[in-house]
Amino acid sequence: MDMEAQRYVWDGAIPLQIHLHESDVATLPAPPPALILAPRIGYLPLLASHLKPHFSSALPPRLDTIWFEYKGLPLKWYIPTGVLFDLLCAEPERPWNLTVHFTGYPGNILIPCEGEDSVKWSFINSLKEAAYIINGNCKNVMNMSQPDQVELWRSVLNGNLEPYRRVSTKLKLGTVGDEYAAKLNLSGETDFSGQVKAGRVPVRLYVWSVSEDFEDLEDAPQIDSWDKVSYINRPVEIQGGEGGDEHEQRVSSEDASSDRKAEEEVENSSEHITSCYQHDDAAIKLVRIQGIHPKLEIPFSWVANNLMNPEHFLHICVYLKVPQANTMS
Amino acid sequence: MSTVESPSAVRKVVVHLRATGDAPILKQAKFKILGTDKFAKVIEFLRRQLHRDTLFVYVNSAFSPNPDELVIDLYNNFGFDGKLVVNYACSMAWG
Repeated sequence: MDMEAQRYVWDGAIPLQIHLHESDVATLPAPPPALILAPRIGYLPLLASHLKPHFSSALPPRLDTIWFEYKGLPLKWYIPTGVLFDLLCAEPERPWNLTVHFTGYPGNILIPCEGEDSVKWSFINSLKEAAYIINGNCKNVMNMSQPDQVELWRSVLNGNLEPYRRVSTKLKLGTVGDEYAAKLNLSGETDFSGQVKAGRVPVRLYVWSVSEDFEDLEDAPQIDSWDKVSYINRPVEIQGGEGGDEHEQRVSSEDASSDRKAEEEVENSSEHITSCYQHDDAAIKLVRIQGIHPKLEIPFSWVANNLMNPEHFLHICVYLKVPQANTMS
Repeated sequence: MSTVESPSAVRKVVVHLRATGDAPILKQAKFKILGTDKFAKVIEFLRRQLHRDTLFVYVNSAFSPNPDELVIDLYNNFGFDGKLVVNYACSMAWG
């Protein structure tokens, strides 16, 4: 399989300009902001080792857990940095101006974080969850040797794709549409040879429902509360079917039956979302995956295999325009 | 083609609580919770019942979901026999 796109994902980074919150400034003058290239696949608390030394001379003696904020919104640390950027910066802002806090952790909004250990725990459990969706169990992740687990986590920490590939292939999570997935889904029932391989793709959807109308993304309102973002975890089924291998599929555009298009999947999911919200006339304004607005004709299996994060989840940000709530008269 | 589920956000989900290791067994092992609630609510319920701050909570003896995940999503993805099996332990049980 062509892995070039995966390399782009792994090398992707968001330039951050991080300001120390004024309530944490113990000495004047306030320190200059820190400039950091944050990996898309990384997590904000992992930047602590760079930020603490940068701000150390200004910080008060008693420090709490590190947390980040964008225009007043505390940032959920378990969401990959790239996903936060895609979701919260309608019009990409570079550098992305964030505020860091070392005191006053908002425990009512954010789940507790004990630094790298919490991030690693969250990552491994997401990986297990993804494995469960793909294989119906997560034995391979649970039975991973200690050195492999260390190497896997290190590879994510340092953005090293080669060691990641070496360890992650042992997890036999396959990828939809490739040979391995076929074997997994065979289980002696059907012969899938020469067909698109069936499988389930772990997907986390972040759906921002916005009622204000805007033409340009730069005029989009800010997300000021997590209540406006629906966090939806719903795997996408890739149906096995006739129509040759994935490559042929991509070439013959009329054959859309067995490997549905990315946009279609999002449409389906958003139908589900809108039915939950009972908005019949909600419309998708934007779909973003790894900073990209995927083209309509890209097969979903390609998107899943190439644009997923290292924990095998595909994170999709969706802006959903919902009608303004009727005011009571 | 795949089937589109009917709107299920308002339905309730049966959660089956199972103690693991030395965790105390609860008198009421099954309870109903709104599908729109987050998994955090299940964790919170267990913490209150067991009077413990540190608790490890798993689905299907396999993984610890993110507290922000909706109960209905967990039920649809990992539930069986009409319920969602949640295991709890006072020390780490499944890494």
